[in-house]
Amino acid sequence: MSNFTRRELLRLSGVSLASGLVLAACGKQVGLVDDNAITVLGQSSVTTPLAEAEVTDAVLLRTAASLEYNAIETYATALDLGVFTGDLRKVSEIAKRFSADHSEHADAVNSLAVKFGAKEFRCSNTRISESYILPALKLITADDNPNQAIDIVALAHAVENLAAQTYQGVVAMLTDPMLRADAIRIGQQEARHAAILAQILNPGRKNIGPTSDAKTGKPNIAAVPTEFGSLANIQLVIGKPKPDGTRTTLLLETPSLNSLVYDFVACEA
Amino acid sequence: MLSPSDTKLLAFAQTLEITTRDIYAAVVSRKSLSDEENELLEQFHAHHVAYEQALNGLLSKNAANKRDDAIYASFDAKLSEAQNIWIALLEIENTMISSHTKAIETIESAKVAALIASIITVEARHAAILASQTTTNISTALDNNTSALVAL
Repeated sequence: MSNFTRRELLRLSGVSLASGLVLAACGKQVGLVDDNAITVLGQSSVTTPLAEAEVTDAVLLRTAASLEYNAIETYATALDLGVFTGDLRKVSEIAKRFSADHSEHADAVNSLAVKFGAKEFRCSNTRISESYILPALKLITADDNPNQAIDIVALAHAVENLAAQTYQGVVAMLTDPMLRADAIRIGQQEARHAAILAQILNPGRKNIGPTSDAKTGKPNIAAVPTEFGSLANIQLVIGKPKPDGTRTTLLLETPSLNSLVYDFVACEA
Repeated sequence: MLSPSDTKLLAFAQTLEITTRDIYAAVVSRKSLSDEENELLEQFHAHHVAYEQALNGLLSKNAANKRDDAIYASFDAKLSEAQNIWIALLEIENTMISSHTKAIETIESAKVAALIASIITVEARHAAILASQTTTNISTALDNNTSALVAL
């Protein structure tokens, strides 16, 4: 029968643990070499250091190129759906022209990236696709969505705004003034695309400037929603109406540090 | 603090915005358009007022505060006939876009360039809408063949 009480036993084990930590710390200080005398069970995983991720002019250009491919893919999907009929028949021609513009923009931006010593990037931005476009397409193409045609136009409008905002936003980040001008030369055309699509979604002169929904108070789609180009997140309202009449709202944001196309990022396709 | 070069470029941009502001004001005052059309142009006029004032704030004592009479007169002549109004205003907006973009090529301050960029993207929207008031040809709304006006 032991003479130690439970309380004393706990105190002693605490003292032993603390002593061990002190000795271990002292051991490190006097330069003791690990002789592998202490057995280690299992294997620890090997950690791979993260690649250097510097936001350079070339990275910003490659990111812009990736968004052009997001837009091209969006228009290809829109045309493949075959939903532009009746009043929306003209949208097919608009989508083809806009898609051709994005191809030209991608070529222009990629050639600038190459000029700056980077590799061109000829595929869409994975994070933008996974975070925004694919979830939106899932809602739009659902069998029970009665608004497929107009919703795909809404997605294209959101992507155009995203592109326009991205080019406008990178002007403050690019170090070369000539590149800033090149960026906004493309960005202004994306803004024109957005304005034209806004008038398809919410037509009429009274809806060119900012208006709001009488029931919800939320801003309606507008061709010219603000007096200065906004960099705020973009609302995309799509999908089957819920019982209360509302629909799903997705918020799109321009590429951030975790969605830039760094030098080490390669096309996944 | 703006560099002397940026001050010169911004002062010219302000002159262009004041000129555009005055052209919109002149069109609206003529009352040759419908109320709805005038409302639209009043919105665009208000935007140019905001641009001119934003540049005025940056320039402070170096602000231009005057329009370019020669540019004003050349556009005023084009606006004399009602059927030319939309195309003439489209040309003004496209000229603003070309001129501001040209300025960005040499503006030293990234923050100032970003302000001008935020003006350009909205003027591009103005241009697309103005084109859509007069034609269904999508190229008219998208293409800009104007030359930049530059500070002398």
